[in-house]
Amino acid sequence: MKHHFILRVIAKFAIPFILLYALYVQFHGDFGPGGGFQAGVIFAAAFILYALIFGMEKARHAAPSAAIRLGIALGVLIYAGTGVAGILLGGKFLDYSVLAHDPTHGQHLGILIVEFGVGLTVASVMIAVFFAFASRPRSEG
Amino acid sequence: MALAADIVSWVLMGSGAILALIAGLGVLRLPDVFTRMHAAGIGDTLAAGLILGGLMVQGGFSLVTIKLIFVFLLLQMTSPTSTHALAKAALTGRVKPKLADELEAERSKR
Amino acid sequence: MLAFLVVTAIAIVRLRNLFAVVMLSGAYSLIAATIFVILDAVDVAFTEAAVGAGITTVLLLGTLVLTDREEKAPKTRNYWPLGVVLLTGAALVYATLDMPNFADPNAPANRHVAPRYLADTVPQHPSGAPVKVGVPNVVTSILASYRGYDTLGEVTVIFTAGIGVLLLLGTPARKEAPDPTKRKAPARKRPNRRKPEAKPGETAEGSP
Repeated sequence: MKHHFILRVIAKFAIPFILLYALYVQFHGDFGPGGGFQAGVIFAAAFILYALIFGMEKARHAAPSAAIRLGIALGVLIYAGTGVAGILLGGKFLDYSVLAHDPTHGQHLGILIVEFGVGLTVASVMIAVFFAFASRPRSEG
Repeated sequence: MALAADIVSWVLMGSGAILALIAGLGVLRLPDVFTRMHAAGIGDTLAAGLILGGLMVQGGFSLVTIKLIFVFLLLQMTSPTSTHALAKAALTGRVKPKLADELEAERSKR
Repeated sequence: MLAFLVVTAIAIVRLRNLFAVVMLSGAYSLIAATIFVILDAVDVAFTEAAVGAGITTVLLLGTLVLTDREEKAPKTRNYWPLGVVLLTGAALVYATLDMPNFADPNAPANRHVAPRYLADTVPQHPSGAPVKVGVPNVVTSILASYRGYDTLGEVTVIFTAGIGVLLLLGTPARKEAPDPTKRKAPARKRPNRRKPEAKPGETAEGSP
C-alpha cells in the first residue's frame, strides 16, 4: 500500500474527525438534526474508509467480528432493556418518565439511552455487512 | 457596509456558479478520462469553495460562518484527494491518456 | 429538482452498465436529500444523504465485485409494467390534488396529535404549559419517545437484516475459506484441519 501515500495520509487525518462527528451527531440528536440512525451510519463509514485504504486485515484488527456481532445484539438489547427498565421501575413498557427523579429528566435520559442503542446497532450492522461483502474471494478485480 | 458585503458575496457566488457550469460542461465535452477529471476537480474544489466563500461573507461573524469554514476545510481536503484517487485508479486500470501514442512517438524519436 | 430526480431514475432504468447505475443511484439519493431539505425536513435529509449517498453506494459497489458488470439484455420487450406504472402515477397525482395544501395548519395530519406533541416537547417558560418531554428536536422526541415502540421495531428490522446477511454470506474464519456451517466454532482446541489425512481414524471435527 505504499503507493497510496496521499490517500493514507488524508485518511489518517480524517478518520478521527469522522468518528468525532458521528459521536457529535449521536448525542446532539436532541438539539439539532441527528440521532441514532445517522450517527451509526457515519460511524460505520469511518470504519469502511479505514478498511478501503488500509486493507481488510488491519480493519479486522480494528473491528474484530466478535465485537461487531456483540454490538449488533447489544444495541437492540439496550433499547428493549430500557423498555423493560420502565416496567421494573413501575411504569409501562418504554415509559421513560419513571427513569429519573423527574419526568422530564426521565424522558431525556430515556431518549439518550435509546438513541445510543439504535446507533450502536446500526453502526455494527453496517460494518458487518461491509466486511461480509468485502471478504468474499473476488470473482473479478 | 452591508452593500459591500452583498456585492462581494454576489461576486464570489456568481463566479463559483459560473465555474461549476464550466466544469460540468468540461466533464461532458472533454475527450479523455484524465482531462475530464481535471474539469471535475475544478468544479469540486474551486467552484464549491467560492460558493462557500460567498455564503460565509453573507453570514457575517457568527456560528454559521465558523461551521462554513469547517465545511470549506473539509472540502479542500477531500475533493483533491478523490480526484487523485480517481486518477490513480485510472492509471492502475491502464487507461491510456489520449495523447499517449504521440508522446511515445516523440520520446522514441529523441 | 424533481425533474432531476425523474431524469436520473429514467437513466438508472435504461443504463446497462451496472457501475454507472450504482453511481447514478448515489446521485439519486443526493437529489432526494436536497428535495427533503427544500421541504424543511432536515433529519430525513441527513439520513437519506448519509445512508443513500454514502453507505448504499459502497455496499452496492461491494456487491458489484461479486457479480457481472453489465446487465443482461432483456429478452422480450414488455410494455405492461410501463402501463401499470403510468396508471398508478396518474392516479396518485390525481389524489394529491385533493390533499390539503402543504403545511396547512388546518390539515387533519396537523390537527390530530401534532399540536400536543409540539406543545409538550418544546421547552416552555416555567409559567407556561407543563413540559413533558423537554427535548428541542421534535423529530427525535417523536421517534424516540412518543413513537418509541415503532423505533424499537425499526432497530429490530436492522438487526434482522444484519443477521440475515451474516447468515447468507458467512463470517469468514481467519485463514480458511468461508464455511457457514462451521461458523459457530466453540473456543476449544481442535486438531489442525489443514491435514485431515495425517491420522486416519480421527475425524475432522475432533472432539464431541
